[in-house]
Amino acid sequence: MTSAAAPAVGEVPPDGPEWPGEPASRGRLAGPARTIGVVLARRVAAAAAVMLGAATTAFVALHLLPGDPVAIILGPSTMASPQVRAQIRTDLGLDAPIVVQFLRYLGRLLQGDLGRSYQLQQPVSALIGDQLAPTVQLALAAIAVAVVLAVVSAVATAGQRPALRAAASLWELVTVSTPPFWLGILLLTALSFRLHVFPVAGAGGFGALVLPALTLGLPVAGILGQVLREGLETALEAPFVTTARARGLSQTAVRARHALRHAAVPLVTLSGWLAGTLLGGAVIVEKVFARPGIGALTLQAVGSRDMPVVMGVVLLSALVFVLLSTVVDLLYLLIDPRLRSDRGAR
Amino acid sequence: MRLARPVRPLLLAMATAAALTLTACGSDSGSGSGAGAKPGTPRTGGTVTYALDVEPTCFDLQVNPQGITGDIERGVVDSLVTIDAKGAFHPWLATSWQIAPDLKSYTFKLRDGVRFTDGTPFDAAAVKANFDRIADPKTKSQYAATLLGPYAGTSVVDPHTVTVSFSKPFAPFLQGASTPSLGFYSPKSLTQGPDALCAGGSSIIGTGPFVFSSYTKGQSVTLARNPSYAWAPQGSAHTGPAYLDKVVFRFLTEDPVRAGAVTSGQVDVATSIAPSDARTVQADRNLRIQKVEDAGGSYSIFLNTTRGALTDVRVRKAVQLGTNVDQIVKTVYFGQYQRSWSPLTPSTPSYDPTLRDSLRFDPTAAGKLLDEAGWTGRDAQGYRTKDGKRLAIDWPWNPPHTREQRGVVGQAIQADLKKIGVDVRHPALDIGAYVALAGTGQYDFYDFSWTRFDPDILRGFFNSASLPSTGGQNAANLRDPKVDEWTDAGAATLDRAKRDALYAQVQHQVVLTDAAVLPVYVPTKLVAISTHVAGLTVDPNGKPLLYGAWRS
Repeated sequence: MTSAAAPAVGEVPPDGPEWPGEPASRGRLAGPARTIGVVLARRVAAAAAVMLGAATTAFVALHLLPGDPVAIILGPSTMASPQVRAQIRTDLGLDAPIVVQFLRYLGRLLQGDLGRSYQLQQPVSALIGDQLAPTVQLALAAIAVAVVLAVVSAVATAGQRPALRAAASLWELVTVSTPPFWLGILLLTALSFRLHVFPVAGAGGFGALVLPALTLGLPVAGILGQVLREGLETALEAPFVTTARARGLSQTAVRARHALRHAAVPLVTLSGWLAGTLLGGAVIVEKVFARPGIGALTLQAVGSRDMPVVMGVVLLSALVFVLLSTVVDLLYLLIDPRLRSDRGAR
Repeated sequence: MRLARPVRPLLLAMATAAALTLTACGSDSGSGSGAGAKPGTPRTGGTVTYALDVEPTCFDLQVNPQGITGDIERGVVDSLVTIDAKGAFHPWLATSWQIAPDLKSYTFKLRDGVRFTDGTPFDAAAVKANFDRIADPKTKSQYAATLLGPYAGTSVVDPHTVTVSFSKPFAPFLQGASTPSLGFYSPKSLTQGPDALCAGGSSIIGTGPFVFSSYTKGQSVTLARNPSYAWAPQGSAHTGPAYLDKVVFRFLTEDPVRAGAVTSGQVDVATSIAPSDARTVQADRNLRIQKVEDAGGSYSIFLNTTRGALTDVRVRKAVQLGTNVDQIVKTVYFGQYQRSWSPLTPSTPSYDPTLRDSLRFDPTAAGKLLDEAGWTGRDAQGYRTKDGKRLAIDWPWNPPHTREQRGVVGQAIQADLKKIGVDVRHPALDIGAYVALAGTGQYDFYDFSWTRFDPDILRGFFNSASLPSTGGQNAANLRDPKVDEWTDAGAATLDRAKRDALYAQVQHQVVLTDAAVLPVYVPTKLVAISTHVAGLTVDPNGKPLLYGAWRS
């Protein structure tokens, strides 16, 4: 064990309770299939609990805010007659006590019905279904941008001359500190309005994805780059690097094949977490670039307090976080063989 | 029955077209020539891309109150009548109409041979189906229903004759009938259910020169030419189908993005250019700016006459005199918007121009009025006090529903009134807290603007039957028997001279006598248009008319 690897292993416990050890201790004579089944069932149950908690919190929070829901739906300057108000209240079931409204909501949720948007009059599941693809596309592109930039910048500069490191740190600091809104407008002004390289907006084609992905990905690249370089530098000082060099490996091979692997565990943890937060970033990017997507939908729903849509988006993001943390756990096993043998040993 | 004879001759039609073009370029001389005045013969074909600042939440004109829905669908639905810049009505889907002397029923002769784009004929039954649906409380119409006012029902006399009845005299009906909100959807599409209409796309079926072909949420709406269109409103510059093959509305909600898109040629037209960007756009030789001043209610601050210090008319007058409206409007809007003197904007019928210069900025006089009202003390911060209580004014606002830098206007008013010793508290609230305060009258200032080409909006703003507690718009909570009488009388006559006199009295009374309102500016749309686009005009209701537009 090197001193560098120890903190990396320490990163694993976030998902602690459900995974390490337990299945094996309970599994007695059971085969691996049974173990996987149990693990899966626990994962699903945990996910359901997380989502129920998220739904409840969102519902309570939205109801604690002041204001009559019907008045909010109609907005501040309205000419709607009292009859129209009464009709809206009845149609949306807002005349029932809050507890009843919540139970009704949960009941519908169990049947897979997310309800209908107050403002858009469409089923929430259809709305989210339609808007999900552009956001996923944007998020994946942004993660790709971030990871590639971070890895390239860190591998190229870790342990190198101070001037090079300083330059890399500077650009990382700038991207992290620039408000994404402003960054988006700057990129648009330079590359779309002046140089006409990319179209201003829309979801059509690859060209329209470049600027939004950069806007969303650059700040993430800054954070990842910093973390990765620090990890790399610690790893490069470790004794195994000397061993590898002694075996005749080139400097580059050592960096790419050995040191990077050590430094990658915190990178994966962070990427998982940052990917989850991309939904929040998508709100701004989708607005600036006039892209459709979950972010734009969320913004509209929160502004007009469109309860069913807000709840739908909350459930979606809870689900995304659960899925991501599972993927991250699996990636740990892939990257670090010691974790695999650890599990087997217990 | 009195016959309102529609003006028919071609000459008059031309005059109307010219008038429309003139309104389109507004009253500003700097905006250059009107769009329709461009030389060259119209050409068929091509696409115009039109950037909008707001995306509708719902495309059902009969339900949704957003003005933008009407902007998009003006080319998709036709109306019974059309209105010219002077407020006179001309035939469209109705060839003639008769108005009962008591203004309680309107009988329309409908044009023959009109078809919806799904092939259904447009007839009396279609009129009835549409109006009945709007008035049905189950439809939850938030705006169109108010244009039908005291609607009692529609009866089909024969396939081409229809009578619309009201339970009370209702003069504003024809104006309402000229707007897209009372335009007609195919009776077949009305049976598809509210979700289908709200979702837009091909379920929206009208008789208009364009067909609503698709909608991509968060992105764009596409309209395509209706090749069999042959019933343009009287006064149009041409007849037959529209020139453009396609119109694409794109939703670019960020001001700098919209301005950048039009200056870089990625869209042909961009609406609502921010006044701060106007100079850049004007400097561009490929663009021109069309200035469209909204008809309807000016952006005004309504002074709550029933709460706190403002119950005293002298304090309200002090507020009017102590605010340097001229300077504020000029600075915040870069000289692009006009300051306003009346709760009505100048392009609204029955606007009273004699109010001009009636409220001159005069902090000394304002101070004197406050002294007279007994606010003579001063506290540590320099604010006036009476019996140890500070002269404070509550003015809540909600940023997401605030447009056009009105937040900055608020700060400037706050600063001006501070100088005469009035403490204006201007908290930014979320929508829930805001409507909670507004609904219960817990405010001293309340601000809004309203677009409608009819002075009858004054009834909504100041009649005591329209108090906010009953869901009305009388934010000043004004109860002035004279104003009630005049606004009621205005709604019960179509006589233009009588209406002008009545509404002039109302405007004087609420601004000068009651001091219930502080008019601030005339809401104005700066529309940037590429020089490749000609013939684009705006109707008196403020809706863009793409029917006559072509690519040059």
